[in-house]
Amino acid sequence: MQIFSMKYDKNFFEIKENNYMLKFNIQRIPEGFILRGKIKGNPKRVELFRDDVDKVMFINNWQSWGVSKSIDIEDYTLKISEDKKSRLKYSIHIMPELFEKNIISDYFIGKKDKIYGFLTSKIAHPFFEIKDNELIAYLDFFDRKFEDYVDIEPFIYLEGKNIESLLEIYADYVKFENKPKFSKWNPIGWSSWYQYYEKLTWEEILKNLELSKGYNYEVFQIDDSWQKDIGDWVPKDGYPSLKEIANKIREYNYIPGIWLAPFSVSETSDVYKNHKDWLVKDDAGNLKVAYINWKKKIYALDTTHPEVQNYLRKIFLYMRKNGIHYFKIDFLFAGAIPGNRYEKITPIEAYNLGMQIIRKATKGDFLLGCGAPLLPSIGYVDGMRISEDTAPYYNADDINIPYQNAYYALRNVITRYFMNGKWWWNDPDCLSLRIEDTKPNEKIIEMYAYVSGILNNIIFQSDDLSKSIRKDVFFNTLELRGGNSHVKGLMNFNNFFEIEALNTKIGNIKMKVDLEKVEYSIEKDIEYPQINKRTIVREDDKRLFHYYEESDLNA
Amino acid sequence: MLERRYNPITGEWVMISSSRQKRPNLPKDSCPICPGILELPEEYDLVSFENRFPALRKNAPEVENDNDVLIRERSQGICEVVVYTKNHNSELSQMSIKQIEKLINMWSDRTKELSSYDFIKYIFIFENKGKEVGATLPHPHGQLYAFPFLPPRIKLKMESLEKWYTEKNTCAICDIIKEENKKNKRIICETENMIALVPFYARYPYEVHIYPKRHVESIYELSNKEKKEFAYVLKIVTNKYNGLFNMPFPYMMMFFQKPFNIDKSTHFFHFHVEFISPMRGPNLIKWIASVESGTWAFINPIEPEQAAKQLREVEVDI
Repeated sequence: MQIFSMKYDKNFFEIKENNYMLKFNIQRIPEGFILRGKIKGNPKRVELFRDDVDKVMFINNWQSWGVSKSIDIEDYTLKISEDKKSRLKYSIHIMPELFEKNIISDYFIGKKDKIYGFLTSKIAHPFFEIKDNELIAYLDFFDRKFEDYVDIEPFIYLEGKNIESLLEIYADYVKFENKPKFSKWNPIGWSSWYQYYEKLTWEEILKNLELSKGYNYEVFQIDDSWQKDIGDWVPKDGYPSLKEIANKIREYNYIPGIWLAPFSVSETSDVYKNHKDWLVKDDAGNLKVAYINWKKKIYALDTTHPEVQNYLRKIFLYMRKNGIHYFKIDFLFAGAIPGNRYEKITPIEAYNLGMQIIRKATKGDFLLGCGAPLLPSIGYVDGMRISEDTAPYYNADDINIPYQNAYYALRNVITRYFMNGKWWWNDPDCLSLRIEDTKPNEKIIEMYAYVSGILNNIIFQSDDLSKSIRKDVFFNTLELRGGNSHVKGLMNFNNFFEIEALNTKIGNIKMKVDLEKVEYSIEKDIEYPQINKRTIVREDDKRLFHYYEESDLNA
Repeated sequence: MLERRYNPITGEWVMISSSRQKRPNLPKDSCPICPGILELPEEYDLVSFENRFPALRKNAPEVENDNDVLIRERSQGICEVVVYTKNHNSELSQMSIKQIEKLINMWSDRTKELSSYDFIKYIFIFENKGKEVGATLPHPHGQLYAFPFLPPRIKLKMESLEKWYTEKNTCAICDIIKEENKKNKRIICETENMIALVPFYARYPYEVHIYPKRHVESIYELSNKEKKEFAYVLKIVTNKYNGLFNMPFPYMMMFFQKPFNIDKSTHFFHFHVEFISPMRGPNLIKWIASVESGTWAFINPIEPEQAAKQLREVEVDI
């Protein structure tokens, strides 16, 4: 049958275009609607939706390090030098040229009382463009051809009282759609990066292991520096074998953790030298540079290639076998750059394939994603960096591309709060709590830590533990965790936020934080009888008995 | 046998738990939940423990479901007995405010812990008080059922609250609180953050609802101030009940909070408490008979406004 000249069959309307056919329907939900559909043909970039824009919009970048913040669309500029552009490449966007010239928001975009978003990114890249006072929702299928119908990424429209509650509702619907099963454990640990960077030595690891007693870390994670090269994931000279590394960390009762960038291959690595056929290429057959870092060109592994899949599987199985059970997997966007691959599928499908292999090989271990496309990673990672790298400095400037800066990082920790506990555990990046060999003052150190705690994020410390350290801040931060957090102020430009956390370890907490003035205040709830729980298992029938008694506040 | 069975005529799940028939008759004057008797051998302040004869069990036996019409499922869930105090001769109305505050924290903690199990979809906290509602143990205690499915009335509440939100973009209970405040005919007790009233739509003669004024979805979202006032209002309501006919008043106290671990929005659910009682006068019982049981349509013989007036006028000294 036809309705308004559109074919209507089994609850779907059908649209025929020159290059594709699309079936769709609209599902009413209490807060708005969801548009679902199926597509076949060679759709390339498909426009799904259009609406007016407001002067102030809340935008989001595709990956961990990108910006989530409100912007004045009349006053939005992208300050990016040619040099930076050539180094960052796909880290700023999956389609850098489009991103450089337009106002782009990936996955979702918000007004003060509306959210427009996509619920998944399994095949296409979903994004919004602001143009001529309109926002336009697109799905980019790159050059993929579909013989049969495939599901499109569902689009959601939400209306409500304020953007913060709508983002929380959006996060719920994304969770319902993707059904991620991530670890219930929200880890606490130590990482080497923000003290040692690439100069970490085995001796420093041993020193810090010894000094770490008393912090009660759960994970001890060695960051970038241990490996022979990017792509050659074996210990470099000066380091013992992975097994010895893991055993040593185990001696201190920590879970051994390690950093790697599994989809990246440097121009000096053995993998590059021996397997150029494993790398993503352009239309002319030249290798595509995904980004430049470590003063090297970095190429992207083609995760559709069977040999690459085997290589990825072996790396993680080998690490696990040697005792590594916490993986920080970094620069993941490299797995999703557009280009020619062994299989003619979209870069998002290729990314999904790569992540499936890693997840399967590390089943039961903790995977922390970093530099990762957000929506496509849901369901594969247990934790996710939701900001750019922090740094031993704090500059309250306002550029719109990834930039290592504690201010820039902390802002995203707040503006992406709503993902935490629903898609994964948010990683606010490491806390640096030393008060020497760093630029941020103690107020900044406290503010960063307490915001991370009150938002119930992953807490990792990164310091040379022989230095003067605000140990009190570390333990205070842990006490602030465990609650359900809500933020207000996302549409303001003054970077002043109010955070409320209910049911933390020390009760209900309110925090006001001014990122520009570097001021914060924490207000505890009124006094209330606190109780301790002691659970015992009855020997005869294995029933659980939970005894509660008032806490001894003087203990 | 421990399993649940599906009724395709009503969409209900029925829990079959034959072990509950085997509950022993305890010697008279012996309380199994007093310290040092059967269940709780040591001293305690408050305790919540898994029921010895549960309708749902965490490690429930697997069931074979080989029929498309007569559908059965595993009865996986948790049933706990929630003991309010070690003092046998007390009750909610007589407990100190501080003990009730601790009890609220225990209810919150049980909710938070049990909701972390993916198989738990609904946590129902309740108390049956008095032999008229089937309570056999006088020791102050309640229970909780952590269900692996949404019970029918919870489904109905979710559907109604969702419909209200869809049509008006507000919470039905938030709207009711505003309206009841304007009318001020059915309120029996009010604090800055809590309100207790006989609802406009009361099904039972002396039905009382307690609503937090702020929109919270579950008990653990209450602030300390709200919890303190909740403790106070619980004590007031139970004392007013006892003062109504100058007798220990039987009641069912039921907490309604949002479902957990379901793939559906729950933000429109407003945490609330319902008290219902079979009493319609001194020594007079309102029986739940055919109309109520068969159609779920209730006939209330007492105007809610009159019931509220009576309860409001009961003076309590706490």
